[in-house]
Amino acid sequence: MTSEVVAQIEAQVSQMRATGQVPPELEGELDECFEEVAQASLASAASRGASDSDPGARDRMAGRAGSMGLVQLRRQATAAARRRLGPSFRRLERRGALAVARLGEAASIRVHVTADHLERLAASSPRASRVLSAARPGEPTASVAGAVRPSIDGPLLAWVLERIGATAAAGARETPAVVLHTECGDGRVVEALAGRGFDVRGADPRAPVRADGDTRIVAAGALEYLGATESGTLDGLLLTGVVDRLRPGEGRVLAQLAARCLAPGGVVVLVSARPEAVVALDPVAADLAHRRPLHPVTWCHLLARHGLSVLAVFEPDANEPDVFAVSAQRPAPAIFAGGGSA
Amino acid sequence: MKVRPVRIDQVIPSIVERDAVSHHTLEAQRVLHSMGFVSEIYACSMGPGLAGRVHPLSELPRYEPERQWVCYQASIGSPAADAVVSHPGLKLVDYHNISPAELIERWMPQLGAEVRLGRRQLAELAPVVELGFADSEFNRGELAEAGYRNTMVAPLMVDTANFYSPPDPHVVRRLQAARAIGGHDWLFVGQMLPHKAHHDVIKALACSRRIFDPQARLHLVGRESCAAYADALRRFVSALGLTDAVEFVGSISPGELSAYYTSADVLVCCSDHEGFCVPLLEAMHHRLPVVAYGVAAVSETLLDAGIVLPDKSPVLVAAAVQRVLTDHDLRDSLVRAGLRRTRSFTVEGARRAFAQAVEQVLQAV
Repeated sequence: MTSEVVAQIEAQVSQMRATGQVPPELEGELDECFEEVAQASLASAASRGASDSDPGARDRMAGRAGSMGLVQLRRQATAAARRRLGPSFRRLERRGALAVARLGEAASIRVHVTADHLERLAASSPRASRVLSAARPGEPTASVAGAVRPSIDGPLLAWVLERIGATAAAGARETPAVVLHTECGDGRVVEALAGRGFDVRGADPRAPVRADGDTRIVAAGALEYLGATESGTLDGLLLTGVVDRLRPGEGRVLAQLAARCLAPGGVVVLVSARPEAVVALDPVAADLAHRRPLHPVTWCHLLARHGLSVLAVFEPDANEPDVFAVSAQRPAPAIFAGGGSA
Repeated sequence: MKVRPVRIDQVIPSIVERDAVSHHTLEAQRVLHSMGFVSEIYACSMGPGLAGRVHPLSELPRYEPERQWVCYQASIGSPAADAVVSHPGLKLVDYHNISPAELIERWMPQLGAEVRLGRRQLAELAPVVELGFADSEFNRGELAEAGYRNTMVAPLMVDTANFYSPPDPHVVRRLQAARAIGGHDWLFVGQMLPHKAHHDVIKALACSRRIFDPQARLHLVGRESCAAYADALRRFVSALGLTDAVEFVGSISPGELSAYYTSADVLVCCSDHEGFCVPLLEAMHHRLPVVAYGVAAVSETLLDAGIVLPDKSPVLVAAAVQRVLTDHDLRDSLVRAGLRRTRSFTVEGARRAFAQAVEQVLQAV
């Protein structure tokens, strides 16, 4: 329909031109007029030394931040203010410089205070200190991975083995059940799980190639290993290390990956530092930690949001005051759950 | 075990807020997260407000090729493209078009050189890219011409903030008051760059005021991205005696933009090149009829929801605008068609298409 309308409009314009309703020179004059002003503007820009018209233009065209534009704007505004305000503006400038210097001094004090707090933390809570030091901005990923090792001992180890052992085996599709331990460190828990008859694998970004040819532990981070794992192939998943230093959004990704990789009936157990161990002890130090653990409630929410049923939470006890654990299960379809309908 | 990439990272030359390609990139990151991938954005430069969400290009990690893919958001020449070419991971290109240099270099020689570089880099990427997806059939055709083996269209994930922001009441009142003297309000939305051809809209307005609508006004909304071109436009308006009829609005908030869309009578677009042209969608969403020069992807974006002209002689544009303003049946049918057209560009649909594009590569490799 619109093509017909366009044809009608074209016919109307032809008729208007033919009958003199459109001055014959009108469009030519408009073209000439713009060409003249264009040349004048380009000459003016060239005389200002801005042959590219606007130094920040290509940034802005490509959607870039125009930092050069801001600098120029500030320079022009400063010059204008000097002209208008005279001595008053110079007084303001001096006050501004003083304020900036004081701000720098305050920042310096804050850094010293923070370093002092970190040292005191190291004495009072070794685990929290390890987490904090790993979370410092600029720390290379590899050294972060090495700084935080899962310390799973005593009642916590028993709890983890019980959770992984009992429910993963019950929900397993095959025998032996496949269990993965991410950031498994030296592999003590892997050994313990293998001793219970699981087909257990470990992944740790700093794991060396085993001299004895044992390939159960491979050099890989938790996110990349889980990302490369086929859906629904794990009966048990033990997450440690990576959960202590999550960047914003990574907790959700980890929960999603865990839910995807677990087989129906499979169990995930995560062992993490309590965020209070990092945050509540010292707010100044905590502000520096852009990578940090999540609260148990947050984990329960994230796991449930991705379709997992939270089974139990291991609360901190006297042996491991800074650690908690959460276990959750991927529900098995009704056909595997027994009690089928008639 | 079947190996699936852990990460699909995105690389973009630059990223800022209120920019269509930047918004698309942030949306793509959400889609990739929802698909279970770790996905970060790496840029040569970033605007304020994006720190923490975007990383410098120098931090782009290089994992094993099968574990990390890289998706390059191509819109201009940039060192970012070289970083993608040399990256070991599987590569995707999301193409948003690169404006032809000949439309730009007279006004902005350096930018002209950069867009030429962008075209060259696009061709260099072709043999190493697994899939090139484009936000319009027009752009997909350019990818195919550049030598890309596998191409598909995945629509732009449009920032709907400009769709649903309530109109700023102060702007609406001011524009309504200006209508008291009569005449219609023309609108054009787009960065003030030479290839957007604001000067041709001004020429059409001058013809309209001479022949059809002596009180017609034009509002030019968009950032002044080329100082010399903006200066020329102001001189042009002044030379034509249209100072009171043409408003240089600049960059404005979504609410203010919404006020312009709801208060205007017609959107007029005389651009010499558009890879998609989001303002056409925004206008249609706001029930504003569109008259446009049918170049590049403009016809594809509009389909039958606007008057698409085969050339942009000022009198023809002015006559088309006059027809739309006076033929109420035509106007109503354009508005209805525009609303239908915008409904086919839902964000959800675009997200699904993007996810399908990624899934297609996952299945193929």
